Amino acid sequence: MNTLDYLLHGFGTALIWYNLLFAFVGVLIGTAVGVLPGIGPMSGVALLIPVTASITGGLPPEQAATSAIILLAGVYYGAMYGGSTTSILLNTPGESSSVVTTLDGYQMAKKGRAGSALSIAAIGSFVAGIVTLIALIALAKPLSDLALKFGPAEYFSLMLLGLGAVSGLAGKSVTKALIMTVSGLLLATIGIDNVSGIGRFTFDIPWLYQGIEFLTIAVGLFALGEVFKTILEKEEEDTQMAKINNLLPSKEELKESAGPIARGSILGFFIGILPGAGATLASFFSYILEKKISKDPSKFGKGAIAGVAAPESANNAASGGAMIPLLTLGIPGSGTTAILMGALMMYNVQPGPLLFEDHPQVAWGLIASMFIGNIMLLILNLPLVKVFAKIIQTPKQYLIPIIIAISIFGVYAVQVSVNDLLLLVGCGLVGYFLNKHDYPIAPLVLGLVLGPMIENNLRRALTISNGDFGPFFTRPISLGFLIMTVLWLVIPVIMKMRGKSVVINEEA
Amino acid sequence: MFSIKRISAVMCAGALALSLGACSSKETASTSKKEEGTGYPTKAISVVAPSGAGGGWDLTARSFTKVLSETKLVKQPLTVENKPGGGGAVFMAEYATQQVENNDMLFVNSPPIIINNLKKEGNSPYGYKNTTPLAQLTKDYGAIVVKTDSKFKDLKSVLEEVKKDSTKLTFAGGSAPGSMDHLVSILPAFKYGVDPTKIKYVSYDGGGEAITALLGGNADVIGTDASSVKEFLKAGKVRVLAITSAERLSGDFKDVPTAKEQGVEAEFTIWRGVFGPEKMSAEAKAYWEKAIDKLVQSPEWKKEVETQGWELEYKNGADFKKFLADQETQVQQLLEALGMQK
Repeated sequence: MNTLDYLLHGFGTALIWYNLLFAFVGVLIGTAVGVLPGIGPMSGVALLIPVTASITGGLPPEQAATSAIILLAGVYYGAMYGGSTTSILLNTPGESSSVVTTLDGYQMAKKGRAGSALSIAAIGSFVAGIVTLIALIALAKPLSDLALKFGPAEYFSLMLLGLGAVSGLAGKSVTKALIMTVSGLLLATIGIDNVSGIGRFTFDIPWLYQGIEFLTIAVGLFALGEVFKTILEKEEEDTQMAKINNLLPSKEELKESAGPIARGSILGFFIGILPGAGATLASFFSYILEKKISKDPSKFGKGAIAGVAAPESANNAASGGAMIPLLTLGIPGSGTTAILMGALMMYNVQPGPLLFEDHPQVAWGLIASMFIGNIMLLILNLPLVKVFAKIIQTPKQYLIPIIIAISIFGVYAVQVSVNDLLLLVGCGLVGYFLNKHDYPIAPLVLGLVLGPMIENNLRRALTISNGDFGPFFTRPISLGFLIMTVLWLVIPVIMKMRGKSVVINEEA
Repeated sequence: MFSIKRISAVMCAGALALSLGACSSKETASTSKKEEGTGYPTKAISVVAPSGAGGGWDLTARSFTKVLSETKLVKQPLTVENKPGGGGAVFMAEYATQQVENNDMLFVNSPPIIINNLKKEGNSPYGYKNTTPLAQLTKDYGAIVVKTDSKFKDLKSVLEEVKKDSTKLTFAGGSAPGSMDHLVSILPAFKYGVDPTKIKYVSYDGGGEAITALLGGNADVIGTDASSVKEFLKAGKVRVLAITSAERLSGDFKDVPTAKEQGVEAEFTIWRGVFGPEKMSAEAKAYWEKAIDKLVQSPEWKKEVETQGWELEYKNGADFKKFLADQETQVQQLLEALGMQK
């Protein structure tokens, strides 16, 4: 049988009535999980495993495995659809992968374009979902080999590119962006070091052993920062927020988003394949890319639709990409795929290099159901835009307590620690002052994500090469990333020196 | 000065009396509770794998929870949580301090709980004595693994190469230096007369990432547990050069010689067990000992252990605790020989 036959068989499996029902229930719960902060895709899937086990109990083992994984995977990519909602409407990222969506999504909502932002997020997620599935079918095998080629040197160079691209997140001043980036990198060093197992800046306080939680910082700086701003500055712009111009994106908006969605899908897919990199980086990288190649980068951060379309496509594409190492190698690339792997094992389906040969029904049934699930999600999400967009019409005196409650609930649900709540409130205050003095917050958050990855992979690569920096330049993929990093940093400067009128972030 | 000292002494005594009072009242409260029975477990149970996904702890935790809920031995929902970092030390630091009375959180561990507590670098101040050992579930063995297209066909050729020039070969494992994967990687070389501190060892976040590094050619040899490379061995992706068991294993590993067979006296058993918090209530402890006792008798568990390529070895709480004390002495000797003891 060739791939097409397998796929048709897969559709045969996925279109059985109860599997359609499972896919629908999965994406429905996934959407809810995505919208509610605190319950991320990981805990959502984990909580549902025992439930699905009892629902599918009556089916023969192979079919039960297929049905269960269809439902659970539905939760996974459904959450990627829903994750944008609170980011756009309340400036409160529910998942780390939708942090970057707040930058332009919230600005769009403020300008009365919440409907467009939410719809384009859903459409972008849909396109990304379909693109990645096609890529998954066509390229799974060669791409899993490519993912294996990524050693510590390649990871390091890729992360360095991400860090070099931080200027893309700068506001008015690159200096301020760099200060924030370094602060993020420094914060990331707190905790017990993963490579040596030695505690750094922990002062023997157990709470610090785990390091500083990314979501606490992000929610504090973004959401509570905004809350403090509203309270302390007593802005009277309620009327501005209340208007919702349209629920669906206009023709121009769709045209403007086509490119970002396509690029976000492809970029997100490739980053998703790499174990450990994941949806958060994918969303950051795609945002930065869009800003860099945009004709008018000054629009970003002020409500550019590309700033919503690209990262939302990318994080969904990354969740599809992460299925490749899971299905072809049995290596989970993210926390959520690890849980999915556990679910498969519960049915005696051992994910590994032999999955496609030993259990074609499970593998292809899942892939086919992801097509169907993505279509369901689009149909489900577009009408919901109307409902969600109403949230923003809530008067400020009600909206602010809601944001505070959601932030505290969300952080506590993940960390179960009062210290994190104190940190959250502290970050809110810091976020307010940073905002007031034009220090961009996104670079700090990115530094926090990239820090440990850069450091650990640098140390691994240098151990392998006996302290020689050569491999960073002699390994082609790594060299490619390094060249891109240099070009990224140098080209704008050279063009400016030549007196060309390029849009470059001027020093404040 | 005197008066201040006296006042503070009085205050101290007062505080002491108060806290003692609080203690005793708490105790009476808990005993009265015990008599009634709290109906434990009343909440969802989480079983923590203190590592990234895909490694030995992770697989054990998932099988454990899977069979317990399948056989309906535990009616509450069971979930597996991954808490990676510092070879398990990160999780222990939290568990032994913040979750010390959390009856609803168990965890899976293996020799690292002892190793981390004894080694010098990256020492974890908390060891098995800060837990309630509930049961040993399985035993597994270390495996020295290379890629299928590697030029190494047996253990000796790897060891000869390391002896000649240790900078040429990269060993990798899923946990930090001084941890179990590291010990498994270097033990054969050490027994072969190579200076273990000279061996190049790279740690990854969990066994899954270490296998990725091996398959991608970013590591030449990995030391890991036999069960987690089984699927890759069956698919023909890797070659297992040696197993650190006393006797040859059966099943998929029947063609793999032990280190001993190849003239290297490297034996290392990877036991895996389940632990509860140090101050676990008597009721919870009794509940789990009973549940696990039933679990290991069940045909479902036997089948699961077989599927995973482990070997069943059950010790109940009391035996397990005694065994751990023996293990501690053995690991201490090993670390001292390697110059890595605390």
